This record gives sequence, C-alpha cells and structure tokens, in this order.
Amino acid sequence: MKKSYFKTALIFIAIIGFFVSANAIAAPKKLVIGHPACLSGKYAKAGEQAIGGIKACVDWVNNVYAGVLVGKKRIPLKYKYYDCESKKESVTSLIGRLITVDKVNVVFSAYSSGLTLRGAPVAESHKMLYMDHGGANNKIFRQGFRYIVQTIGPATRYHEGTLNMIHKIDPTAKKVALAYEDSEFAKMVMHGAEKHAKKLGFNVVFERTYPKGVTDLTPLLSALKASNPDFILGGGHFEDGQLFNRQMADLGINSNALSLIAAATLPAFYKALTSMAEGVMGPSHWEYGVKYSAQEAKKVKLPWIGPSQDEFVALFKKALGKNIIPDYHAAEAAAQVLAYVLAVEKANSIDSDKVRAALGDLTFMSFYGGWDVDETGLQVGHSMVDVQWQDGKRVIVWPEEAQTGKPCYPMPTFAEKAKGKVAVPK
Amino acid sequence: MKNKITKYYPLIPLLAAYLLLLLIGKNISGMWQLVAMLIFYCAMGQAFNIFLGMTGYVDFGYVAFMGVGTYGMALAITHLSHIKGLGILIIIIGFALAIVMSTLLSMAVGAVALRLRGAYFAIATIGVNEGFRFLIEGARIWNGSEGLIFTAQLNQILGRETASSLMTFWADIIVLIIAVLAAFVTLYYMKSKIGYALTALREDEDAAKVMGINVTKYKIIAFITSACFAGLVGATSWALKTPYVFPPEVFEIHYTIEAIIIVLLGGAGTLLGPVVGGLIYGISKYYLAIFMPGFQLLIFAPVIIIIIVLFPEGVVGMLKRRVKGSALAKFII
Repeated sequence: MKKSYFKTALIFIAIIGFFVSANAIAAPKKLVIGHPACLSGKYAKAGEQAIGGIKACVDWVNNVYAGVLVGKKRIPLKYKYYDCESKKESVTSLIGRLITVDKVNVVFSAYSSGLTLRGAPVAESHKMLYMDHGGANNKIFRQGFRYIVQTIGPATRYHEGTLNMIHKIDPTAKKVALAYEDSEFAKMVMHGAEKHAKKLGFNVVFERTYPKGVTDLTPLLSALKASNPDFILGGGHFEDGQLFNRQMADLGINSNALSLIAAATLPAFYKALTSMAEGVMGPSHWEYGVKYSAQEAKKVKLPWIGPSQDEFVALFKKALGKNIIPDYHAAEAAAQVLAYVLAVEKANSIDSDKVRAALGDLTFMSFYGGWDVDETGLQVGHSMVDVQWQDGKRVIVWPEEAQTGKPCYPMPTFAEKAKGKVAVPK
Repeated sequence: MKNKITKYYPLIPLLAAYLLLLLIGKNISGMWQLVAMLIFYCAMGQAFNIFLGMTGYVDFGYVAFMGVGTYGMALAITHLSHIKGLGILIIIIGFALAIVMSTLLSMAVGAVALRLRGAYFAIATIGVNEGFRFLIEGARIWNGSEGLIFTAQLNQILGRETASSLMTFWADIIVLIIAVLAAFVTLYYMKSKIGYALTALREDEDAAKVMGINVTKYKIIAFITSACFAGLVGATSWALKTPYVFPPEVFEIHYTIEAIIIVLLGGAGTLLGPVVGGLIYGISKYYLAIFMPGFQLLIFAPVIIIIIVLFPEGVVGMLKRRVKGSALAKFII
C-alpha cells in the first residue's frame, strides 16, 4: 500500500517537474539580441548610431512596454554586442560565438551589404533568425536565405518617393536625367530609379555613371545639360554629391529639382555649399522631425508600437551618453528591435522558425515609419523620406504622412540663389 | 634515409598546432568560427612568408593576388553554374582559374617590380591592388563595381545543405589544407637549392649575384609561389566561405598590412613563424573585441609594437636562437 502511494507521489512529482521545466523552456528569463557591431573600422560612425538605437529601444521595451509577452509572461530584452571592426573575418567568428556561447535568440547583422552577406551563411547554418538593418542590396534576398529579414529599405527604392512626389506635383514633368557614382550601392539605386521612373511614365533622357573619387564632372554635366531634363537624380557619396552641385552651379545647369543620395541630407552639405544647396533634395531612411505617430498609424490602419520620436531621441542620448541627434542608422536598428518584439508576441514563441514566419506576416508603424516584408524577407513597407534644404533648414517634404513642410518646386535657379534667393514652397 | 626524415621534423610542431586547432574547433562549442578565422590568418601569413620571409622584399600589393583568386572562383561559379552535371567540378575549375589568374598577375607585376629593390619595390607594389580594383570598376569587367553575389548559384550547384556546410565548415578545412601545403612548399624551398639561393639574396643580393646566383629567377619563383597560394586562400576564404565579391572589399590594403604583421610577429623566413604570428594576432584581436569592444585597437597596437621591439626576429626567430644546438633545434626552423 505504502509502495503504491510512493509510486503515485513520484509520478505526480515527475509530471509537475515536466511542466515546470517545459514552461521554463517556453519562457526564458530573457530574450537576447546578438550583434556583431561596427564599433571601429570604416563603418564605425554607422555602428555607433546602430548601438545607440538598439539600446534605446531595448530600454523602452523593458521599462515602458514592460517586456516581451510570451505565453503569459513578460520577458525582458538583453542586448549583447561585440566589435567586429567592420571586417568580414570578425563578423563570422563573432556571430558563431553569439549563437553558440551567448545563446542569443536573434542576430542583428553588421553594417553594409557585404558584412550582412558574410554573416548570413553562419546564421542560416544554425537556423538562427538574422535581421538586416544595414545591407540595402536587393540581391541579398535573391540568394535563398531563409532566416534573413530586412528593416533598412532596399537600394532600389531610394528614389521612389522623389519620383512619386514629382509625378504628383508636376504632371508636365516628363524628362529625367540619372547620373550616379559607379559603385555597387549607387548603381543599384539608379536601376531602381530608372525602373520606377519608366513605370510612372517618365522618359529617361540621360543615364550615366562617373567613377569613384571623381574630381571633375564637367564633361558629364555638359552632356547632361544638352539632354535638357526636367529634373535630375544622382549622387553616390558626400564628396561627389557636393562636386555635382557645385559644378552644376558653375555651368549654370538649372533644373526643377535635384535629388542627390547620401550627400544632400547631411548638414555638412549645406555648410559647404551654403545658398547653392537651397532647394536640393535627398532621400533618407529616416530624419529627425518625421511625423510618424500613433495617429498617423491609425489613419493608414497600421498597428503602432514603440516610443514617439522625441522619446526615442531622449532614450538614444541616454544610451550613448552623448548629446547628439540620432540619424537613420540608429532609427532603422531601433525599429528592428520593435519588429522582433512584435513578431515574438505574434508567434507566441521564441523559436526562430516561428518568429521568422510571424515577421513575414507582420505590418506595423513606429517612429521609423512603416514595416512590412515580402516572402524573401525584403523590406517593402518602409518608405524613404525626402528632405529638401529650405532657407538653410532641412525640411521633410515627402511622403505626405511624414512631411514637415511642402516641397519647393521648381527650386530657384543658380543665378537666383547667387542673389540670395532661398527655396520657399509656393 | 634518416636525413630525409629529419628534414621533415619541423613540420611536426606545425601539424600539431593545426591538429590542436581542429580539435578545439570541433569539440568546444562556439569555437569553430574562431578557429576558422585563425586558420585564415595562418594561411595568409604562410603564403606571404614564402616571398617576404624568404627574400626580404615587402610586397604591398599582396592582397591583389587574393583578390584575383577570389574572382577566379567567383567567375567559375557564376559562368558555369547553368551547365548541368558539372557539380563539384565547377569548384575545381574555380581553383584552377584562381591559380592561373594569380600566376598571370604575379608574372605581370613581377616582370616590372622585381627589377626594383627595397623601398622602390615596396612603392611599386603599393599601387597594384588599387590599380587592379580601378581596372575592374572602370573597365566594368566581371560586373564592375556591382560585384558578384553567387550564393544562389552555389546552392543550385551543390544543393542547399551541402552548400551551407561548404560555406560554414568545409571551406575552412580547405584553407587549412592550403596552409599545410604552403608550409610543405616553404620547407621544400628551405631545404633545397632554391632556399639557399633565396637566403643568399636576402642577406646580400649583390654578393649573391657575384657568386653566380640568378637572383631574378629565384625571386620570381618565390613571388609566383606566394601569389598562387594567396589566390587559393582568396578563392576559398572569400569566395567559397562568402559567396560574393565586391571590388573594394577584396582589394583592401589592410589585409596586406595584416599579413606583414603576422609574418613579422611570428618571424619572417621561419617555417613556424606564420602559424605563431597568425595565432597571436587572431586570438588577441578576437578576445580584445569581446572583452573591450571598441577599445581593442588602442590596446592591440602598443602590444604589437612591444612584441616587435622585444623580439625583432619574431617569436619563432627568438626561439630558434635560444634552442640552437639543442635537441629542439631540428623542430624549430
């Protein structure tokens, strides 16, 4: 009799033990984000911003949102990062460590398409969710990786907003000129711009690339002038963007609009060119001042998550201990934290396969803007914002739900700008 | 007969070091990717040592050979993947192409630069990697600045699972084999007429010439051999392990600097030097990145300076001097 009581008690303890341990597996004490960050090396600036953005959103999730809801338990986030020195050999070794030693639940990629690609096979071999906030190359998503999801907008969509805006505000504009730096990133932007321009009915009257480190764009700009475009899209990096604008002024090439990638959104661009930069535009993934909010999300029927823009900026400054305004590198990395949190909650699991599937079905809006990916993991829900220099200030002119001011179109001519005329919307 | 066997004794510590690395990588969780990185640095140092260590010439364009080797593999995969039935043969063709391309480039560079000496040679080779990168981008050959991304093709050729294990494991094993092969060749050169001629020209090129040594011939042999191994390392570490090539990433001069540091740390012209240098360099870099992220270079730079000041002949060079005349001497060269 005593024996049977003992047996029953043992079975009872075993069953309870099983459920306790099963629960412990289903709901860990913390969710760990692993990141081979670019703290030093050529991407150090973008890397520091990304770390600040991630820390800011982890802080918000833990202290304002009260943790990630899995089952009935709220689990805090933890952020584990190492410095990959912006080098590919370090990226793979550190991702290997993050997955197998630190047992992270998700890996955020290092900055740039190359480093993102370098880490992808390692993450895939461990069936680990791999989130990309720094690799804009569309081709990453045509390689058959199953666990990769993008937050940064793909390079081919950089100029979609500019083209949509001009298509809407000036139906008479038909001729577009494309002049870009001969680099992997800029050429991908140009291919996307060309495709979208044709889709909207624009006629590409000029298309040419110039080499990296170019010091004279006069021959290219003279040929561009002869094509008489209504507006111009181009650029590549800060130095050539500045040269592009300066030599357009020297040659007196006037256009209704000029949009330059990577250069025009930087404060240093206006500082270097002063009045010559008036009216010049540039696309950006995110700019301080965008109007994405819970109200805007409601209007477009998207769920909202995350801090407001000002809350994010405050958390970012606290995270880095520096009084600097975050740029788009910080915002996209931060938005990635929010996407992960929502996907875990949607999947009600921390399993990489389930969270990856949930990310595929996820759409939301945060201070960074919209978020949605296609079946390959490519970001399709985030629109770039277009920034224009108006009276020495950066004004977000597109898309309408994010704008802080109306666009100045056409922009003043270089002769008018030389006389002190500033870009003012009509 | 005994002499023939003792000739290979120096390979024992080298093979033991690689075996230990393999055992650590396979048996300790989370260590494989670190081991892969260490093997890469050792292989890169071993290949570079054949020229720098044995001739004393500093080639700043070394990374260009790794770059063209990478392109050799990338071109084979991207251009032949549509041919059914080739399978793994494409990888072998890729290796052959990597050897041919790096040999051709080294012959072209060597024909001009090897006529120069010392600082003039170093300056002449500085432009090789940048020049080749600009040629690819400017002339838009091999997809120009857009580079080549070919994971999908590799999946198509080998199947997803095999391609994945190639990228995350077998590519590293191939790099290890290349490193061992480079060590064998180094030892063969050291113990043959080539090695004596190279030692003579490293110590005093004019005297070697006077003694009737065809210094140009031996410099070219060392240069091409080193370039071939560099091409193979590039084809494996940068094309098979990471199926993409962007010109700015494979012609980056910092890899040449890393190779120089590894060889000097370990001991230029020694057989074990590149392994010791690669291990010191890789392990310090890795653990400093983990324990002091962001500050590792601040600490790493003075550490390297101190090591080089304390051991101007490199760690193995110093060991070699210490064990001279003892039983250990035949293992450390």
